[in-house]
Amino acid sequence: MSQETQPSDIGQYPEGDNLKHFIENRKRGGLVWRVSFQIATILAILALIALLYNIINGAFGYVAIQNKVDPNSLVLAMEENQMLSSSGTVSSEDDNELVDGIEGNPNAIGFFGYAYYNDNRDKLKAISVDGQAPSRETAESGDYPLARPLFIYSAADVMRENPAIGAFVDYYLTNVNSVIEEVGYFPISDDLLNEATTAWSAAAGEQADALQAYTANPAEVSDHDISISGSSTVYPLTRQLAIQFRRAGFQGGLDLQQTGTTAGFRAFCEDMTTGISNASRPINRAEIEACESNKRTPVEFRVGTDALAVVVSSENTFLENVTKDELRQIFTSAETWSEVNPDWPNEPIERFIPGADSGTLDFFAETVFDRQLEALTEPELIEILKANLSTGLLRRFDAEAPLVERSQPELVDLVLERVVEQQVVQSWELTESIFDRAEIEETVAAIPQGELQWRSWLTPAFLVTPQSSTPELAGIRTALFGTLWVIAITILVALPVGVGAAIYLEEYAIMVANPTLRRINAIIQTNINNLAGVPSIIYGILGLAIFVRAIEPITSGMLFGVSDPTTANGRTIISASLTLALLILPLIIINAQEAIRAVPNSLRQAGMGLGATRWQTIWSHVLPSAIPGILTGNILAMSRAIGETAPLVVIGASTFITVDPTGPFSKFTVLPIQIYQWTSRPQAEFRNIAAAAIIVLLILLLTLNASAVLLRNRYSRRLS
Amino acid sequence: MAVGASSRPEVTSQTDVDIKTQLRKHPRVGETLIETFLFVCGAVSILTTIGIVFVLAKESLLFFTSGGVSLTEFFTGTVWQPAIGKFGIWALMNATFMVTTIAMVVALPLGLAVAIYLSEYASLRVRSILKPVLEVLAGIPTVVYGYFALTLMTPVLREIFGDDVVQIYNTAAAGIVVGILILPLVSSMAEDALSAVPDSLRQAAFGLGATKLETATRIVLPAATSGIAAAFIVAISRAIGETMIVAIAAGAGPNFTFNPFNAAETMTGHIVRISGGDLSYDSIDYNSIFAIGLVLFCITLVLNIISRYVVAHFREEYE
Amino acid sequence: MSTNGTPTSNGKYALDLQDVHCYYGSFRAVKGVNLKLQEKKITAFIGPSGCGKSTVLRSLNRMNDLIPGGRVEGRILFRGKNLYDPDVDPVEVRRRIGMVFQKPNPFPKSIYDNIAWGAKINGFKGNMKELVEQSLRSAALWEEVKDKLDQSGLGLSGGQQQRLCIARAIATQPEIILMDEPCSALDPIATLKIEDLMRELVKNYTIVIVTHNMQQAARASDYTAYYLMDKSDRAGELVEYGETDQLFTNPKDKRTEDYITGRFG
Repeated sequence: MSQETQPSDIGQYPEGDNLKHFIENRKRGGLVWRVSFQIATILAILALIALLYNIINGAFGYVAIQNKVDPNSLVLAMEENQMLSSSGTVSSEDDNELVDGIEGNPNAIGFFGYAYYNDNRDKLKAISVDGQAPSRETAESGDYPLARPLFIYSAADVMRENPAIGAFVDYYLTNVNSVIEEVGYFPISDDLLNEATTAWSAAAGEQADALQAYTANPAEVSDHDISISGSSTVYPLTRQLAIQFRRAGFQGGLDLQQTGTTAGFRAFCEDMTTGISNASRPINRAEIEACESNKRTPVEFRVGTDALAVVVSSENTFLENVTKDELRQIFTSAETWSEVNPDWPNEPIERFIPGADSGTLDFFAETVFDRQLEALTEPELIEILKANLSTGLLRRFDAEAPLVERSQPELVDLVLERVVEQQVVQSWELTESIFDRAEIEETVAAIPQGELQWRSWLTPAFLVTPQSSTPELAGIRTALFGTLWVIAITILVALPVGVGAAIYLEEYAIMVANPTLRRINAIIQTNINNLAGVPSIIYGILGLAIFVRAIEPITSGMLFGVSDPTTANGRTIISASLTLALLILPLIIINAQEAIRAVPNSLRQAGMGLGATRWQTIWSHVLPSAIPGILTGNILAMSRAIGETAPLVVIGASTFITVDPTGPFSKFTVLPIQIYQWTSRPQAEFRNIAAAAIIVLLILLLTLNASAVLLRNRYSRRLS
Repeated sequence: MAVGASSRPEVTSQTDVDIKTQLRKHPRVGETLIETFLFVCGAVSILTTIGIVFVLAKESLLFFTSGGVSLTEFFTGTVWQPAIGKFGIWALMNATFMVTTIAMVVALPLGLAVAIYLSEYASLRVRSILKPVLEVLAGIPTVVYGYFALTLMTPVLREIFGDDVVQIYNTAAAGIVVGILILPLVSSMAEDALSAVPDSLRQAAFGLGATKLETATRIVLPAATSGIAAAFIVAISRAIGETMIVAIAAGAGPNFTFNPFNAAETMTGHIVRISGGDLSYDSIDYNSIFAIGLVLFCITLVLNIISRYVVAHFREEYE
Repeated sequence: MSTNGTPTSNGKYALDLQDVHCYYGSFRAVKGVNLKLQEKKITAFIGPSGCGKSTVLRSLNRMNDLIPGGRVEGRILFRGKNLYDPDVDPVEVRRRIGMVFQKPNPFPKSIYDNIAWGAKINGFKGNMKELVEQSLRSAALWEEVKDKLDQSGLGLSGGQQQRLCIARAIATQPEIILMDEPCSALDPIATLKIEDLMRELVKNYTIVIVTHNMQQAARASDYTAYYLMDKSDRAGELVEYGETDQLFTNPKDKRTEDYITGRFG
């Protein structure tokens, strides 16, 4: 047959080179499509990764915390107060009084500037702190704990453009050691002084000679002004030198302020309102960067060392060295020496300390106590509260929960919230926190009293704290309880009804002979499939009309006399549960039907063959075999219900509740609604806690789904 | 009987007459009660449907008879402003269709491509990894997707198109994320349809010298058309009914616009916003959500019925 | 034991299998097959289940590539070219060496499209209608379907469907047609029709058929290859290959004799 017509007569397939091209084209097309299918799949995975990362991104990162009151100053004030008010303490602004008090008294102890001790070496004995004896060397190296370096800062450009500043710095370095002891600080070693002079020469560059000429004759730069601010510790030294500089002939403006080191750097680096900055600590990285972004490279000049001497009388024989911790006790709570150290005599401590207005007391407290708010004891915290809050407010807090019974962290939180008035003023996402660190630091540096803090928004406290309108204090406790109540009742209702319906449809409906009933059964089945496709919000509308409104007396608990007096309406846990039960019913039925259908018919026949009734067979044979499948489906339905938001919003879940729900007739909120509310708030911090709440929700769901998978695997192994 | 005789001596002592009475049907009250209870369980679903239809119809009727809103106005108007008595569903419906269209543009090609990849190309190992990934995606609550839309998708769109073009709330971001939400649904249903195509067809195509692509797209895909079409329709229905993503990211104010970068409120978004407040039962707002709900219910119901019809009537019988 | 049995013949060889081993993953399903298939003849592969005859058949047009882990060692020469050379495209191999499967598997398309599709994807240029008609005539189906070319191929009876599949294979103008138990799903009358068709087709094509049915092999084939599973390693091997008449009447191998006389087992 086929020989009659040759294939070539009616057409042909590509051959030779044509064929090669043809095949190549087809393969190329195939490859292009294959790659696009793969890309699509990768996109889907990327979407999941992006979704999950976005949540992590929101839940962790830096926050800028602003304290209305500096917590360290609170601690300091509290400690100084402790020092000043402890019994047997004499405080005086006049150091001579202190010396007189200590002199000849073996049980006395005190502290003041090292220079002053130096003048009274014959009567007093300076003791070592943490094993370091006070001396010029240990103070300069920083080994002696009660010492700090003193700096001034300027910049090369500043000194060149303003010869008055250049000359003053040179004058400063040349003359500092001749005045410093008079002011009460340690002079620095020649090495360090040389280092500073070298730094000055390098900064002055070609103008060094000219500037040095001005140093000798400051009157020549009187057409320039000098502006200085910064550390109050360095202030008296700089002031002394400024006076001398003026005496030497300088007639230009000379503005000298004491603002504290940090503020001094801000004025110098960011606002550029000063040309010299006094500092009692080295400049930090962020400040250098802030300077450099304004084209100012700060140059550091070490000008001296500040040190305190802890002194006892020369007659004192037992005290040679103390630790910082011992110092703290000696100057605060301890009444006798033996209380601090059993080796010391059982004699009362007599304390002689500088007065409250003295910077020396501040420095001593700062260095010796060096404690953060978080490290204070409960009585200390209460003391801070009492010192800073009105009595009315205190009484209110005491009524909520007696202060003395509160735990230390609770008290810390209270201090932070009420006294420090700590606030998160800005928050950054994880990615920003990692990659824009410098920028963030800059932003935070610009916030007065601002502090950069790493924050995980998801903390144990977040889980157990109730709602709050302040995001950093808010938690999901009420929402978690709400979710648990709602889901428990939902399952309690939906599971028996759903499984019952599935049993009916699988085991009974097929046996029905009555045509009307058969039709009804068919309708039920179709109807269930249709219900599974109804948007969840429609169930919300149904719940609103029926459960919340039509049967309000029941769902509000009024009928049972248990209604929540604050609400007494139908927007309760029971309404939510009934709504969700209807919502997941089709899901449970369909899953249970499949599980029941999977039970081999032989099992039913075996049961019936022994003379068991239909129900007996179902109860003892079909259901046990189907139970893993039913439970799996049930868990999946449960996770659906846990994640549902829209219907609950419609039936009117409350969004701001701070008390735990107590029963089916309580008003409530649930986790997803909390997330929805927080996400909808404009402040970034609410997004952060929304992300944290999402993590909790997802972990909950993941656990449920994992248990469903485990259940399925475990039982399927047993059956096989 | 003979077998039972040895173990049940009392039976052997009965006469034939007794046997007849014993075998006679007798009512089992327990069984009947149980069956009735189970039937009632099944009937709950019918009651639910009746409840939905009744509630929606009754309140909608009140809405339309309360005066001020005529059916024509409702179904033709493009302004929804209860304050001035304007209830034109198109202001909401349009936003719903915008979101749905954008979602479909994202989900259909991607979902289908993923399905083809999984069913025709991927090795068993790859499938065993990818399918759970998609299941995870499908199991994430929609409110989480809403967070995603607002905090990631919108900023990304604003980055790309400019802050002055893209509003903070917009249908584009919501639509794309709804697309991602229904992607697993599309891909898993479409993959089921593709996998249901018998292997013998693929063998036949390969045997004729077809490439993998030719086999997949020109034999397997057409053979699975009905299942894929059903997947698409179900996905559309799901997108229309999706609530939380649009409530969070699409906007909170009815706005008749075709610009996907503008804020607009969908039907579901409107219901959530209106009922989220302290809703008075006597207000026209309260009634209006039922009218919107009725429209929503009808659209999704029709789509679901069509999808099942498509599956049932256009399925190829291979054997 | 020699697995090589090439009968004496004057004809040319369509395929030359040299020491072919087939693997599924690490499992060797077929070992050491040496076989020269005569051009424009019908060669039947027979043997009990699991003997590897289908595996060998599927290796001939690289259908084994489609099974995960499937691979072939050795050489299968087609016009002097090894089908398993790296530069050989399996897609083109399958166009030249067509296949008909155990169960009729027409595409869910019209009868016309069933035939035209393979031609289209393989770049056929010319009169498609003619090609379809000619292929259907060659498959002895034209008269039965000429009035309903636009109807679904799935509407035909089983025997017709299988002939449609044969027509579909012919349309791509292969040189060899592989048939994997093409009649196992058909009734005896349809089976006979297919066998008649094979006798017709062999004038133009080389046919290799796998069959369980020894009568069919005896009736329809020119050459027969008998495979058997080696119980020691569960790998199939070629036991005897020769002209059908000779193999059935005067088997050289004791095992072949056992099988054809029904004493197998």
